[in-house]
Amino acid sequence: MTLLALNDLTVRRGECPVVDHATFRIEGGEVVGLIGPNGAGKTTLMRAALGLLPSTGQSSLLAMGPAERARHAAWLPQSREIAWPVAVRTLVLLGRVPHLAGGQRPGAADEAAVDEALAAMDLSAFADRPATELSGGEQARVLIARALAQETPLILADEPTAGLDPGHQIAALERFTDLARRGQSVLVSLHDLGLAARHCTRLILMHRGRIEADGRPREVLSPDLLRDVFGIRAHLSEGPDGVVFQPLEVIG
Amino acid sequence: MRQGVLLSTLGALVAALFLLSLLTGPAGFGPGESLHALLTGQGEAVALVMREIRLPRAILAVMVGASLGLSGAALQGYLRNPLAEPGLIGVSGSAALGAVIALQTGVAASFALALPLAALTGSLVAVLLILALAGPRGESLTLILAGIAISALAGALTSLVLNLSPNPFAVSETVFWMLGSLADRSFRHVWIALPFVALGWFLLSRTARGLDALTLGEDAAASLGIGLTRLRLMLVIGTAAAVGASTAVAGAIGFVGLVVPHLLRPLVGGQPGRLLPASALGGAAMVLAADVAVRFILPDRDLKLGVLMALVGAPLFLHLIYKTRRQLT
Repeated sequence: MTLLALNDLTVRRGECPVVDHATFRIEGGEVVGLIGPNGAGKTTLMRAALGLLPSTGQSSLLAMGPAERARHAAWLPQSREIAWPVAVRTLVLLGRVPHLAGGQRPGAADEAAVDEALAAMDLSAFADRPATELSGGEQARVLIARALAQETPLILADEPTAGLDPGHQIAALERFTDLARRGQSVLVSLHDLGLAARHCTRLILMHRGRIEADGRPREVLSPDLLRDVFGIRAHLSEGPDGVVFQPLEVIG
Repeated sequence: MRQGVLLSTLGALVAALFLLSLLTGPAGFGPGESLHALLTGQGEAVALVMREIRLPRAILAVMVGASLGLSGAALQGYLRNPLAEPGLIGVSGSAALGAVIALQTGVAASFALALPLAALTGSLVAVLLILALAGPRGESLTLILAGIAISALAGALTSLVLNLSPNPFAVSETVFWMLGSLADRSFRHVWIALPFVALGWFLLSRTARGLDALTLGEDAAASLGIGLTRLRLMLVIGTAAAVGASTAVAGAIGFVGLVVPHLLRPLVGGQPGRLLPASALGGAAMVLAADVAVRFILPDRDLKLGVLMALVGAPLFLHLIYKTRRQLT
C-alpha cells in the first residue's frame, strides 16, 4: 500500500528551486533514510510534502484534509520545541489530538498508546517529570514518543537522532524498524550515514534540491555519489554484523 | 492540583469577593440590610445604592477581570511567551486612543455611550491592522512585531491628541479615565460591554486544544491537524472583543493578564488549555479584590484601580522577568 506519493514536488524560494521536481513513492513497511549535505533541501521536501510550505507538483498528503492528514502522517520537526513545563506524559498525549473529536477527553486507547510510546522510548520513569527539566537528548526522545503515540501509518522525522547518545540513536531507529515490520513506514532525514546504512531499508540522496539517487543503501552510498555529493571517501562493507559504513576522509 | 478542585476553589473565591465587593462602600449600610435590599428592593435608598451602583460595579469587575485574565492566558499560550499580555498586540492602547479622541472632540459628552463605543472602535481598528500586518500565516514573531508597532502608533497618537488639546479640563478628564477605574459605573456600562465580552469569552474558550498543541511549535501543531489561521483569527478577535470592551468601560487596567496566568500556571501543570478557565476566574478574583482594596485604602480620594494594579503588578512583573531570565541562562 502506498503511504506517500510525491510527483514533481517543487518548492521555490524566489526563482531558485529549493526542492526541484522530487518524485518518489513510499510503500508500507519501509524505513526510508533521506540523506544529503546541509542545504540539500531535506527539511523543505518533508515540510512541503506535509503542506507546511507552498509548493507545486503533487503530494498525496495534500489531497487529504488537515484532520485526515494528521491521522495518516506524523511530523517530527527538527526544532525541538517544548514551550511550557508540562509533564512528559501530557506532552506525549498531544500526539492523540488528531484522534479526538472536538471536546472529547482521551480514553483508554489513547492512554495505552501513550504508555506504549513512553516504553518504546525508554521514558516510563520520566512520565510525570516536567519535560522542560529533562536534558536535550531526553527531550528529543519525548518528542519522538509524541510522534509514535500519534499511531499514524507514516512518520516523517527530521533528524530525530541528532544529540542522542549512541544507545538511544540505535534504539530510535530500531523502533522505526519495528513500525516497518507492522506495515507502517518512516521517512527519516539523517546525517549519520553509518546509522542510515544499517537501519534504513532504502535511502534517498538529495543534492541541491534534486533527488540524486534512490535505492538500497549499498547502491546509494557508492564511491562516485559520495565523492560528488558529500566530497568524502568512505569504507563500506557487509559482513556477519550487517552493513558497516565509515566515512574516512574529505576529498576533492 | 486536579483541575476540578482548582476551578471550584477559584469559583468560590470569586463568589466570596463578589459578595465583599457588594458590601463595600462609603454609604455604610449593614451587610444584612444591604443584601435584603438588593434581593427584595425594599428600603429605597439602600436598594438604589445596591442595585444601581454596587451591583453593576461588582459585575463589571468580574467581566473585566475575567476578560483580562483569559486574554492574557490565551495570548501567552499562542505566542509561547510568558511575558505576553493583551496590551502587547496593541488592543488596549488602541481602545484607549479611541476613547481619548472621543473625550477630546467632545463626542463623549454628546451621548452617554459615545465613550465606550469609541474605545470599541479603536480596538477593532487595531485587530484589522494586526490581521493586515501579520499576514495569512500568523507566525508568532510577526504578530508580536505588528503589536509593538500598533501600540507605539496608538501611544503616539494619544499623546498627539493630548498635546494639541485646547481644553485643559478635557485633558485632565482624559488622563483620569486612562488611569482605569470601576467607580461610578452603571448597568448601561454592563450592557454595552456584555455582548462583546461574551463573544470574546466564547472564541477564546475554543482555542484550548490548539494552544495545547502549540506547545510543540507551529509546525508540529499544524501537523496535528490544528488550523493555525483559524486559531489566530479566534485569538485576535476574541482578545479584541474582550479587552476592547473592558477598556471601554473601565479604562486601561494593566498587569491582570500578565500576573494571573503566571500565578496559576504551576497549578495547571503548565498546560495552556487548562490555564484558560483558571485564568478567567483568577482575573475576576484579582480585579474584584483590587476594586475592594481601592475603596478600603483611600475611601475619600478615589484611588484608581489601574494605579493600584500597576503598583502591585509592576514589581511582580520585574520579578517574573528576573526569573525568566535565570531560566533562560
